[in-house]
Amino acid sequence: MTYTFKIKDKVFSVEIEQEKDQTVVKINEEGRPVEFEKIDDYIYSIIVDGKSLTIGVLKNGNNIQVFMDGDLFEIEAISERDQMKSSQVLSGVQEIKSPMPSRVVKILKEIGDEVDADEGIVVVEAMKMESELKSPIEGKVTDVLVNEGDAVEAGNTLLIVSSD
Amino acid sequence: MFKKILIANRGEIAVRIIRACKELGATTVAVYSDADRKSLHVALADEAYHIGGSAPAESYLVIDKIIDVAKKSGAEAIHPGFGFLSENEKFAKRCEKEKIVFIGPSAEAIRLMGDKITARNIAQEAKVPLVPGSDGAVSDVEAPLVADKIGYPVMIKASAGGGGKGMRLVRNKEDFESSLRMAKSEARSSFGDDSVFVERFVEEPRHVEIQIIADTHGNTLYLFERECSIQRRHQKVIEEAPSPGISAKTRKKMGEVAVRISKAVNYSGAGTVEFIMDQKENFYFLEMNTRVQVEHPVTEMITGFDIVKWMVRIANGEKLPFKQKDLSINGWAVECRVYAEDPETNFMPSPGLLHYVKAPTGPGIRDDSSIYSGYEVTSFYDPMLSKLVVWAESREAAIDKMASALKEYIVLGVKTNIGFLIRVMNNDVFREGKLDTGFIEKHPELLTAGEVDIEPAIIAAALAVGNAEESTGSDKGPQSNWKLLGRKAGLSGGTLI
Repeated sequence: MTYTFKIKDKVFSVEIEQEKDQTVVKINEEGRPVEFEKIDDYIYSIIVDGKSLTIGVLKNGNNIQVFMDGDLFEIEAISERDQMKSSQVLSGVQEIKSPMPSRVVKILKEIGDEVDADEGIVVVEAMKMESELKSPIEGKVTDVLVNEGDAVEAGNTLLIVSSD
Repeated sequence: MFKKILIANRGEIAVRIIRACKELGATTVAVYSDADRKSLHVALADEAYHIGGSAPAESYLVIDKIIDVAKKSGAEAIHPGFGFLSENEKFAKRCEKEKIVFIGPSAEAIRLMGDKITARNIAQEAKVPLVPGSDGAVSDVEAPLVADKIGYPVMIKASAGGGGKGMRLVRNKEDFESSLRMAKSEARSSFGDDSVFVERFVEEPRHVEIQIIADTHGNTLYLFERECSIQRRHQKVIEEAPSPGISAKTRKKMGEVAVRISKAVNYSGAGTVEFIMDQKENFYFLEMNTRVQVEHPVTEMITGFDIVKWMVRIANGEKLPFKQKDLSINGWAVECRVYAEDPETNFMPSPGLLHYVKAPTGPGIRDDSSIYSGYEVTSFYDPMLSKLVVWAESREAAIDKMASALKEYIVLGVKTNIGFLIRVMNNDVFREGKLDTGFIEKHPELLTAGEVDIEPAIIAAALAVGNAEESTGSDKGPQSNWKLLGRKAGLSGGTLI
């Protein structure tokens, strides 16, 4: 079975094979023998090249969160169909959504404003802290769906940016 | 001892106080909001009362509701913890009026220290060092003379200021006049008031604070210092005791100053006097926190003194059984605040369900937390998950222990700062004790995982995906190696042979 994973912008092709008495995991064609145990629903004990690691894995659809040595890695599992589409991911119309229940503190852009990729476009406040949400693409603000002071839920669309 | 104590707080500090009260033989009463029904403080207290909506303004901040529960439950005393009503003069007064003991200083001490200008005046009278500067607003003629007197670099600040507006750093005398002009014009346009004051600029400042404890029999002691310079968003992240950069002489001087200002307001209970310090050990009074401090555990670890228990005993009228000379520092303690936040996106909070939590254990490791597997971090409260505290015989050993303990911590479901904390522990500048409040900004490389071997993470992800397919049977094809592997693993007790 071959899997394709994406971490940030890097793509990894992963194959798991049974070779003689051992499991070999091939990452981008390079194989490493792996010994593993599932400890409970979320925790794996993995021994690779003699190195023992306890790794937490949380799967939510195609998104996999992996917790290793204090850091959380967000991995996206890509099917072959998705892979063909992925070249278009960072263009088109992007909805800027609130990542958590929060309050809109400041809207930094108006309809028609040009934005760069990674430029801040709206400031939200949750848990007594302000956070700036950034545009993932270069484009134009085509819609502003909230007002300053609004309370929003996680997943609510705040602004829409279009690259067209 | 009080028979029953109400804890007017939530989260790890409520848990910490509940444990202390129980050990002292008191029955504990918790209060909780809608969002906190499943919180640990509710589970651990002997009694629990619902007090309203999830927003603090509908529950933990409503004085009437807390007092009602105290009366209903028959609590004789209230411990306010930190935040919420802990430094609220009105609340302390109301407790006095209702004949409920407020576990903390008098309402008067809270009032005096709560107002910045009053606190500064008290400090001045008590000969507590303040950042040298003009006493309030100065004229254009006086300003450069004040700067000459206190020495460069100086800071010109708008009296009505805030948010960096109307503020100018001046390093040389030649630049003073033009900087003054710009600061004043900025102050005028921002605040409609162009009065400014002049203060010495403390370069590479450190935040060092003194823990004090005072009984109601005239004994005020200092429990040495805490170094709290590692901050993000002006909030502490890592604290340690003692401080790596101060001499025994400075320590004694700071301790005595802290005792002096505490006595000036007839302080009782636990309190913290905060100082800003330059790299040459010159220290200046910032403010006094009239409550238990988040980072109190590091002081407990190096002194063996249970601050929370003594707050309760002092409120009950007990006398401190020792003198300053009986106290000494033993070893070194470090605290890391584990937050549900993402260091990569300017420490943005990351609420959510904690699917799995495993805290480190072992000798010298203390985890003050209120989280568990299945707990949900909501966006109503501070995103602090835990305070991991370690003790060892030296600073180096304590840092090593902390790095190792952090690596054992597993929190699955939200983003955390654990990886960032590990990188700070392994950073040479931090290990050398060269600390200032700009440390995190100076080391942006610590915010991300950087160059690590992520292959084990990818392997784990592949195993999890394969496992999910196995258990749901979604992959029906005969070519599924995973299914076969999984079955084999099942037959052989989990190991693939």
